Amino acid sequence: MKAGTVNTASRRPRFNWLNDLWPWLCAASVALSLLMLGALLALLLVRGLGHFWPATLEEVTLRSGDTFAGHAVREVELPQQAGDERLYFTGNQDIEGARWRWVKIEEIAERAQPADLIRLERSPWGDFIGRLVAIEQDDQRWEGDAAWQRLTALLALPASQRQESQLLLTTVDGQTLRQPMASIVSAQAPNAMSWSQKTHVWGDGVWRFLSEGPRAANTDGGVWPAIFGTVLMVILMSVMVTPFGVLAAIYLNEIAHQGRLTRLVRIGVRNLAGVPSIVYGVFGLGVFVYGIGGSLDEWFFSDTLPSPTFGTGGLLWASLTLALLTLPVVIVATEEGLARIPEAQREGAVALGATRLEMLTRIVLPMAAPAMLTGVILAVARAAGEVAPLMLVGVAKLAPQMPIDGEFPYLHLERKFMHLGYHLFDTAFHGEDVQAAIPLVYATALLLVLIVLVLNLTAIFLRHYLGRQRGNEC
Amino acid sequence: MTPPRLTSSRQPLRLLQDRVATGFITAGGVGVLLAILAIGVFLIWETLPLLAIGESLALAKLSPLAWGTLKAALAALLFAIPVALGAAIYSALFMSARLRARIKPALEMMEAIPGVVVGFIAGLILAPWVERHLASALVLIIWLPLSAGLAGLLWQLVKARLRRRLPPLSWAGLWLIPWLALMVAIALWLAPWMEQLWLGGDLRQLLDQRFGMDYATRNALIVGLAMGFAVIPSIYSLAEDALADVPSTLIEGAQALGASRWQALWKVALAAAGPGIFSAVMIGAGRAVGETMIVLMASGNTALFSASPFEGMRSMAAAIAIELPEASPGGQTYHLLIFAALVLFIFTFLVNTLAEVVRQRLRRRYRQMGGTS
Repeated sequence: MKAGTVNTASRRPRFNWLNDLWPWLCAASVALSLLMLGALLALLLVRGLGHFWPATLEEVTLRSGDTFAGHAVREVELPQQAGDERLYFTGNQDIEGARWRWVKIEEIAERAQPADLIRLERSPWGDFIGRLVAIEQDDQRWEGDAAWQRLTALLALPASQRQESQLLLTTVDGQTLRQPMASIVSAQAPNAMSWSQKTHVWGDGVWRFLSEGPRAANTDGGVWPAIFGTVLMVILMSVMVTPFGVLAAIYLNEIAHQGRLTRLVRIGVRNLAGVPSIVYGVFGLGVFVYGIGGSLDEWFFSDTLPSPTFGTGGLLWASLTLALLTLPVVIVATEEGLARIPEAQREGAVALGATRLEMLTRIVLPMAAPAMLTGVILAVARAAGEVAPLMLVGVAKLAPQMPIDGEFPYLHLERKFMHLGYHLFDTAFHGEDVQAAIPLVYATALLLVLIVLVLNLTAIFLRHYLGRQRGNEC
Repeated sequence: MTPPRLTSSRQPLRLLQDRVATGFITAGGVGVLLAILAIGVFLIWETLPLLAIGESLALAKLSPLAWGTLKAALAALLFAIPVALGAAIYSALFMSARLRARIKPALEMMEAIPGVVVGFIAGLILAPWVERHLASALVLIIWLPLSAGLAGLLWQLVKARLRRRLPPLSWAGLWLIPWLALMVAIALWLAPWMEQLWLGGDLRQLLDQRFGMDYATRNALIVGLAMGFAVIPSIYSLAEDALADVPSTLIEGAQALGASRWQALWKVALAAAGPGIFSAVMIGAGRAVGETMIVLMASGNTALFSASPFEGMRSMAAAIAIELPEASPGGQTYHLLIFAALVLFIFTFLVNTLAEVVRQRLRRRYRQMGGTS
């Protein structure tokens, strides 16, 4: 305290540790938070989108004379020794028994990038990396460049029209392999591609990631069922949460007597937004799944018991649970919108002879509409990113059937569904080959973050727009 | 102008509609509020059978979980509170209004990033990296605040000569980002060398031999960083609101009476906004206690009693997520886990209510002071 008075009294400002340094620490914490956020987003963007870029294939010769082909994934320092080691993705699981290979960098004698190396995506057995020798169909045979052109021509056709033929393949260390055409998903020769071709392949890869189902125990393929499940669940949830949330908000703000009890209820509702999501999951499991679902099974589906229909997790229970979880969000946002409307508007409407219903539907609700929309969007954003409660009430790692199909009644509310967030968790932590799954996990994480961020930005925009509109009116 | 005849003929219908609608809204509103209440009732009801089971068993099962929860939350708060409060103080008191309008939503956007994504990055990317470069990670944690101070020192030293050309403090939140990135790069470059020089090789080996500390890949340090990242925005947002609402006349008055910037902050702004900051920290604690996915993915899920920051833990929320789907309904584990959920529910509800009450009281006080709000 005394230091301060001395400081101001003396003419020359002296450097004071306490006084001059702490603003910098505070500024640095803003910078650190932004840096962390930026680093996270950049990491997701680079790894998530980079995975689809066709990687250059290398033919590596070791000092021991061994050769193999693959693409370099990453380099890591050797434990307890000097030097680095590099991880290669080599594919060819059916021939070599493994898809990955760690190599010490100092053991590498030569690296080449021959243009004739190709990469085939197969099902089963995953990728093949090597050379195409020939294609045989009945008694016809194509070799060399002609074989490659024939292969691309065949792959351009829809799967049902491809003629049955055999591919003669060889790995870089000389083992040969016959591969039936039916098992080939796609083929590329990345070393021979130009930039525009690579971009094309990249776009194609992104599209297939978004539009296909998962393959090879979630380590390959796309996330379409998970996107579909997430969107469907969120839509069902908003259909349930919007009317109830708005009703409760109108009741609290317009009809209920504004006293001590209402204030308590309001604090309670606000606090429910802070209750951990897992607690809602427990409630959903105990009440919806075991309670209501169990009774429904006894009444209507007793012929299929003991295998449960509604008495197990499913789409309906998941969206109900999330609706309950996001109810406070909608109520609070709507109430804020309602409270902002000047009392004069309501009084004016009533003074001109409107009943309360007319006042609400013609004056108050239209003015509060952006606030309600904001609330619903925030609710959707929260629900889309929420995983913990879903693990209890009906998400599946691999759903055999989509929740919507051509069978009556078309929308199957009792089925389990896939969810982007849970798909991410499951692939990253319970997969068999985590190494192979990580690029896809990055892509899934990026997709999830993008969805949630876009929804939140929309909500912020709406709120901004709402604020400006009110500014004009006042 | 409405023609009076028309209204009078439709009057009874309109009144009826009005009454029906009011009844409908009341029923709907009360129904929703009751449904929300039902959560608490259900949790308590399902916990009642536990009274029949011996207390000691429940205690043996739940105490490691409670310990894990507290440890994880504490680790997260240790990281989050300084960063979030620092950021709040800076953006409320120093940042230009234009910059603040941009930065605040950007930081609040952090809250929107789903827990699974943070957990995935922490568990599969950060944890193995920290395991391999433990010394670098620890050096970074110490070096970053020091380097911020260094930036301030340099700025003060050259201030007298170059005042006009220096970027101002009010933009420091932005131009410190490249500075910090540079400092991270320097620290990462120097750390292995320092480890070699001072510690004679591997820090993890040293910890093991000298102090007998085990190192688990997924540990409290990782959980603290990851969950701290998730908690920062909620603490920041509320604390910033509280600080920005402190009437500026108070701070200006203090400075006019001769208080230094530090004194004005410490004795006036923080004292006035204290309850608001307290409630922000409370809400952050509530969030840290209940966060499921991050702990599940970054903690290793081993139910241990250990205070070591390099060992894992299992929190109540994670235990519920893992074990409840497998527990048979009505069984003992089922009731125990629901009891854990009840504890979480009551804890967060109490903490949030406390925070909300404190905040409302604070708002009333500002209004009496004749502040801006």
